[in-house]
Amino acid sequence: MRFALIGNPSVGKSLIFNQLTGLGVEVSNYPGTTVELQRGNTCFQREIVELVDLPGVYSLEGSSDEETLVRRFLEQQDIDAVIVVVNVTRLERNLYLLLQVAEYGLPMVVVLNMADEAAKRGLEIDPGPIRDLLGVEAVQTAASQGKNIDRIIPAALAASSPSMADIPYDHHIEAAVRSLGKMFGADRKESIRALLGFGDNPELLEAARTISDEIESRHRMTVAQIIAANRHNFAHKIADLTIKEETELPQTDPDSILTRMIPGMPILLGILIGMLLVVFIVGSFLEEMIVGFFEVYAMQPFIALGLPPLVEELGVSILLALQAGLGIAFPYVFLFYIIISVLEDSGYMTRAAFLADNAMHRVGMHGGAVIPLTLAFGCNVPAIMGIRLLRSRRERIIASFLVTMVPCSARTVIIAGIVASFVGIGAAFSVYAIVFLLILATGLVLSRVTPGERFGMIMEMVPLRWPDPKLVMKKAWSRLSEFLFIAMPLLLAGSVVLGLLEFFGVMALFEELVEPYTMALLGLPGYSATALTFGILRKEMAFETLAILAGTADLGAVLSSLQLYIFAVVTVLFVPCLATITVLLREVGSRITLAITVYTVALGLLIGGLIHHLLS
Amino acid sequence: MLPSTFEDYLEAILTITDNGGRAAALEEIAAALGIGKEIAGTTVASLVEEGYLERAGGDAVRLTGKGLSVASQVARKHRVLQCFLTEMLGVDADAASKEACTLEHGISDETIERLSSYMDGAQSPPGRLGRCRGRDCTLLDCKEGDTVRVAMMRGPRRHRRLLDLGIFPGEVVQIRRKLPNQSVVVRVKGCDIAISPEIARSIIVESCP
Repeated sequence: MRFALIGNPSVGKSLIFNQLTGLGVEVSNYPGTTVELQRGNTCFQREIVELVDLPGVYSLEGSSDEETLVRRFLEQQDIDAVIVVVNVTRLERNLYLLLQVAEYGLPMVVVLNMADEAAKRGLEIDPGPIRDLLGVEAVQTAASQGKNIDRIIPAALAASSPSMADIPYDHHIEAAVRSLGKMFGADRKESIRALLGFGDNPELLEAARTISDEIESRHRMTVAQIIAANRHNFAHKIADLTIKEETELPQTDPDSILTRMIPGMPILLGILIGMLLVVFIVGSFLEEMIVGFFEVYAMQPFIALGLPPLVEELGVSILLALQAGLGIAFPYVFLFYIIISVLEDSGYMTRAAFLADNAMHRVGMHGGAVIPLTLAFGCNVPAIMGIRLLRSRRERIIASFLVTMVPCSARTVIIAGIVASFVGIGAAFSVYAIVFLLILATGLVLSRVTPGERFGMIMEMVPLRWPDPKLVMKKAWSRLSEFLFIAMPLLLAGSVVLGLLEFFGVMALFEELVEPYTMALLGLPGYSATALTFGILRKEMAFETLAILAGTADLGAVLSSLQLYIFAVVTVLFVPCLATITVLLREVGSRITLAITVYTVALGLLIGGLIHHLLS
Repeated sequence: MLPSTFEDYLEAILTITDNGGRAAALEEIAAALGIGKEIAGTTVASLVEEGYLERAGGDAVRLTGKGLSVASQVARKHRVLQCFLTEMLGVDADAASKEACTLEHGISDETIERLSSYMDGAQSPPGRLGRCRGRDCTLLDCKEGDTVRVAMMRGPRRHRRLLDLGIFPGEVVQIRRKLPNQSVVVRVKGCDIAISPEIARSIIVESCP
């Protein structure tokens, strides 16, 4: 038995999925796309039921990746029933998707979620009309309290017949459906979809296009608008019958403070800065603990073993990589993902995007871009993945440039570990200032020169709610494991290669070769070039490598403040790390990736050189 | 109720005399109606007898109070019908005027009232928002708290998501928030939707009746 969960974004679908499946959830990308799909199993009366959590969508007819995925998934029809999760407090809009799903003719169950929320608002829900008009079972649940969740699977198992919903379309549309049916033997669903321009029969599409042009010349609306209006009106009718508004209870509206310029903007800035501070302070505290633990319980005992030099070198390299990776992953990345998940699940992210819309326009993107840009402070990798939420290629190109330049947690380590501790806090902030100015300038230039059409933002402000701690941790954990999966092998390999090169004296040769250039251009010793090169593997490795090559962790003793400052600036700007390059290749293609790499290298060397020649 | 010929006479006299301000000569009346002076004289005589007109020296006549009220009523019906025919149905102006002349006699007062208010509802709204003279009103012209109806969307194929979120021609939306930088939040179907200025600009709205 295989069921799919489908619904609008933020209707509590993931929460229900989570409560039904528990552990052992497999997160995979749908073949050919980059959209996440969650699969899990649940047991009911000793029978295993497979559940698929489809991404939240508003419609099955849009062009976004998620919508295309859900559409293709339903078209394959290899599921036994669809479980449509509906937010009863926004019933009408949710029913619109439900009606579209109903037209696919799969057995269906409706889950009327957030019944508790509805009760709080004084809404009385009567699932009768949904059962009668759509011919499907409806279960009222309150996922946040776990109420009635156990009734979903039995209802889905009992669902055997598709919904008999019959959306009353405009008579022109009905006539078109009839004639397409006569001409091509297409059923109602196929005809409607052909009128909207979907389908794989070219003749049917051709005929449908002619008919829709005809309809459009008569109405002042497009066929898509007429069909959408008909569905919305039917949804309105059902919603009206289902919901009996008892009393409109007074509601506090946090949006009245969150989405105004004042105090919304200061709150947004406060949250972004607070987020950075928490990651900074708590993160570095945890990092010290983890690194110290490694030092005492792994590194020192290993060296004390007194193994042959080559083996020791290899072992130390691996331990160093593990130490660096875990020291970064847990304190910075995990912490950051927790905060991001909280912002996302609470619904604040959409408010932030709304407030930032205009500022993002200046740099050629819409407000949604604030999400990947903020994510980038944690790690560029998920941020680059996140630029998918921008719809035009133009915006994605601009975003990929800017996201790559944002100082991620690994670069924060460099700024904190090198500049803040050896040069000073003020200097550390000035590095940020330089980077932000460069990001702004890059954005301003790119928004003028990047070809392509501008698109705006159309975004639902999802209801504000308290995030579920379990779900937040789960989300953060799955993102962290993705990070570990991409970064750790690279880190291990890189570290081993570095160790071997060092062991066989290749490094010394390289350093001698580049020293004249680095000295002239940046005023840095040759081994800093090696550190920079290894910074491509993982940014914070530049710091570790520098410490190893300099032969001491007290960098202040071997390099001047200015040298450390220049090293940090160059590293922060220099080339995205290998993991970022990998995802860039997948998201924007090789040409743009190459352009970004060349641009960042040039920028890093240019700014480093400028600082060197101006200040020394 | 008066025969339609009588109403035509009274309406013509009203037009000639600039709303009954002066007397009208028999010649003028005959010319306005496109008939002979003899026939006009007979009808005018019976209208004087009925008390709708009064003699004003020579063959000139003037509207009485009773005559004036009937004449203005007929004239209004004519205007409303002509407006309906030309503006709403797109009938040619001359043809509309002729047709209105025929229709004005048979139509009831109540129907005229309803037709008139129907046209008010359908025509004036964008103007009634009062902030966008001479062009279509868009979401950007609305203030926070306004409730408006979506009239039309420019570039309808570009913003499929608007349709899916319930913003389509005919739907009533409420402006929840409008930032100084023109980004707006509208409430539709109980949900808040944030929209960028350039998209809000393509949504043409009218006020709700």
